[in-house]
Amino acid sequence: MLDSLIAEHRETDHQFTVYWSGDEPDLETWLINHGIATESRPLPPNGPGPFIEIKTDGEVVGVIGVEAAEKLLEPPVLGLENQDGISEGYQVLLEALEKTVFSGMDRRDLLAVSREIEERAFRVGEGTLRVCFQTFSTFRSQLDVYRTLANETTLDIHIYGVEDWIPPRITGIAYHADAAERFESYWALAYDGGPDAANACGLVAKEDSDEYTGFWTNDSAIVEEIATMLRTG
Amino acid sequence: MDNADKEEERTTQPEGEDLPPRLSEDKFYRALASLQRRRLLYYLLETTESTVGELATVLSGWEATTTGRIHTQADRSKCRITLVHNHLPLLANVGLIEYAPATGSVQLEPLHNRVEEIIRQCIAAEDGSMSPSDA
Repeated sequence: MLDSLIAEHRETDHQFTVYWSGDEPDLETWLINHGIATESRPLPPNGPGPFIEIKTDGEVVGVIGVEAAEKLLEPPVLGLENQDGISEGYQVLLEALEKTVFSGMDRRDLLAVSREIEERAFRVGEGTLRVCFQTFSTFRSQLDVYRTLANETTLDIHIYGVEDWIPPRITGIAYHADAAERFESYWALAYDGGPDAANACGLVAKEDSDEYTGFWTNDSAIVEEIATMLRTG
Repeated sequence: MDNADKEEERTTQPEGEDLPPRLSEDKFYRALASLQRRRLLYYLLETTESTVGELATVLSGWEATTTGRIHTQADRSKCRITLVHNHLPLLANVGLIEYAPATGSVQLEPLHNRVEEIIRQCIAAEDGSMSPSDA
């Protein structure tokens, strides 16, 4: 079922145009390696540095310097409280690249996007956050973050996964292991935004031989679909 | 042979009103008085032909790479509006570009070498690669 969501979003019409002169920017190579088709436009020498234009359904949704984008795509995966410096720019990038299906992502890429979703849930402080990190042992590495989320907010947190480790009891966190076999290839988060659906955000990715293919979204209807699939399979 | 060449040159010489703006004209310097217009002209020097949409992206991208800020949909659309209502009509009026509002197409008019040189120097001065002693 989560598969079908990913397949559906492959059809969203995104266009990436990279403007550059001199050496081809790493970002263009990165996008191509992540299954994103790009166009190139030449820039005059001594003009601006390379930048990228992102269009969704024919509308320009953002123009980003390649240097800034490259920094954002390798974000430090920080704790919830240390997001101030990077978060603002990263948020815009996430919005611009929203609903784009990436392939060839690694766990670090997913952790960075997941942290953005967790951070938003932390800031709002209420609502429901559903998370599937494939296995409970992967969740274990994120335990500090989730302890903070549970202790400092009124969030209703649900963790899905294969029970290969027994997680500790934490008030505010419910574990769902029994139905998790079918989610073992999926990394997914769905935050409903609490009182304001405009804050909803989610991520779905499927693992295939150590690489992930998936997308993230700020669209509350799609977030709701992810949540439903996690809840009911 | 020499005479024939001269004849040819005379017949292809553009009419008076099509001449690129002269360096003694005030309006030429007014056209260059905006950073956005200088960047736009510089970009057109290399590409010659463009569209309003592409120019809005290029100016947004130029700004974004200079400031390290990300330009959102709203920023770019503001940039596009300024192009359509201000920069493009002004440059067309001075005779530096040809602009067709109906199609959004923008073309550089043939410019005198010296005019091109001034535009290039403006851009070189912008990124600080020209020291005061070069000026």
